[in-house]
Amino acid sequence: MLIVREDLERIGRLSTEVRFSESPDMTDWIRSLVESGNYIGGEPLAITGRYVTKNEVLSDGPFIESKEGISGYDIILAENLEQATAIAQTCPMVMVGFAIREVRPIQPFISKDPEKHI
Amino acid sequence: MDKVQQEVDNLYKQQFGKMVASLLYASRDIDPKTAEDIVQDSFSSALIDWRLQGIPANSAGWLYKVCRNKALNKIKKDKRLEPLTEKLDQGSVETRFSESVLDDQQLKLLFACAHPDLSPKAQVVITLKYVVNLRVEVIAKILGMTIDGVDKLLLRARQKIKDEKIILEEPHLQALKPRLSIVHKIIYLTFNEGYKSSGGKEILREDLCEEALLLNKALMDSHLSNKETAALHALMLFNAARFKSRISASGELMDLENQDRSLWNQELIQLAHDFFTRSQGEDVSTYHLEAAIACLHCIAASFELTDWKTIAGLYTRLLYIHPNPFVELNYAIAKYYAGEKTDAFKILNELQGQSFLNQYYLLNMTIGKFHLLEGNLLLARQFLLKAHDQTNLGKEKDFIGKMVNKLSDPK
Repeated sequence: MLIVREDLERIGRLSTEVRFSESPDMTDWIRSLVESGNYIGGEPLAITGRYVTKNEVLSDGPFIESKEGISGYDIILAENLEQATAIAQTCPMVMVGFAIREVRPIQPFISKDPEKHI
Repeated sequence: MDKVQQEVDNLYKQQFGKMVASLLYASRDIDPKTAEDIVQDSFSSALIDWRLQGIPANSAGWLYKVCRNKALNKIKKDKRLEPLTEKLDQGSVETRFSESVLDDQQLKLLFACAHPDLSPKAQVVITLKYVVNLRVEVIAKILGMTIDGVDKLLLRARQKIKDEKIILEEPHLQALKPRLSIVHKIIYLTFNEGYKSSGGKEILREDLCEEALLLNKALMDSHLSNKETAALHALMLFNAARFKSRISASGELMDLENQDRSLWNQELIQLAHDFFTRSQGEDVSTYHLEAAIACLHCIAASFELTDWKTIAGLYTRLLYIHPNPFVELNYAIAKYYAGEKTDAFKILNELQGQSFLNQYYLLNMTIGKFHLLEGNLLLARQFLLKAHDQTNLGKEKDFIGKMVNKLSDPK
């Protein structure tokens, strides 16, 4: 998974329109990833949401003020972590310095019951 | 010694013998002396032409092309062959005499470029630079990148490969087989780049498609290939066969429906068939499925008579292996023409919902076109105008513009 991290405080002040019009165009990048068979899916995330902990639910969690808060994600298929990283390096938002991409391999989930078929 | 002379001399040393041998292998009717004359002739032509026009991007490729044409002309002129044999022989020269002489060193390089740590785009770029020997400016132009962008990519890629101590210290050729699927993808993507619009006024890049075919041919000749390679070759040939019909005499872009099928190259289609047959085995790869779809298009007498039902079925299988919104779009199109219009619209609407596809002009153009055909003129206009805004290509804009005009004057 390629997690997008941006300055949420900055984006939070913009209208959705401006947020996307100011960002570099991502369609060609995604299109080339689709063509090469690497793209699985992805979405931008809204800035407002809820922060749920054991004791409370906040609508202004610490994530709102984050300079590197999560603003979206893409799921790609790659040969290995190296290739995923190389792909992340070509992300237009990364190349202009608007965002950081955190590259995290999706871990296969291991069920507690070893007899259960995953 | 001037640059042209130098280039020609180098190529002469490297290629003369190979070219003569290949000619002899390709055609029964050319004797050794004639073969040598033809090859010699080609080098003379190179010397003259390159002094006037400059050295071409792929100089060896140029030589092979010219040599092949000279050989074909010789065969046509000299022989009183039966039409059938003549066709066979020509076909033979077309296929067997090609620059399928990537030597061991270049093949190793191809596999080295197929390094799994590089992004797919980097794999293509590095192959175009070091195996196909295109100049950086040419690569940038074809892929719609900046020269700086290409340089950066090459630098990073070379660095990575150097760090891994892999480049040119290649293990034995057999050990490289696991990289074959990556090599296939590189060739496939290269062909795709040449086949589709690459920005700007020009819409087809035949040269790049030819390069992809030559690379694949070399792969097959090297015994490193498998049935997937043959399927990939069939797929590329089926598409290449339709080149001449994609742009009309007046320079317009013609879609599949309006292409003049008499311009489709039947020899290439036959050749593609041969490779397709050769590719049959236990495994069905995405290349097999795509080749089958391309085949069904190529053998259809007309757009209306195309076996849309089977094509739709093939797309279902393709989507199962490789879910992909572009393929999904083609699937919807096949369903529409197979008469399953409700399903088609359902799929198209779902695709519309995906944020990035919503911006894709071909999707909106398709929806617009189908509404036009169904008589929903308002919706048609809405989607066609949307599509018109979404593409920057002159030819595509013209094509959509024509459809919009049809709206005001439906006949």
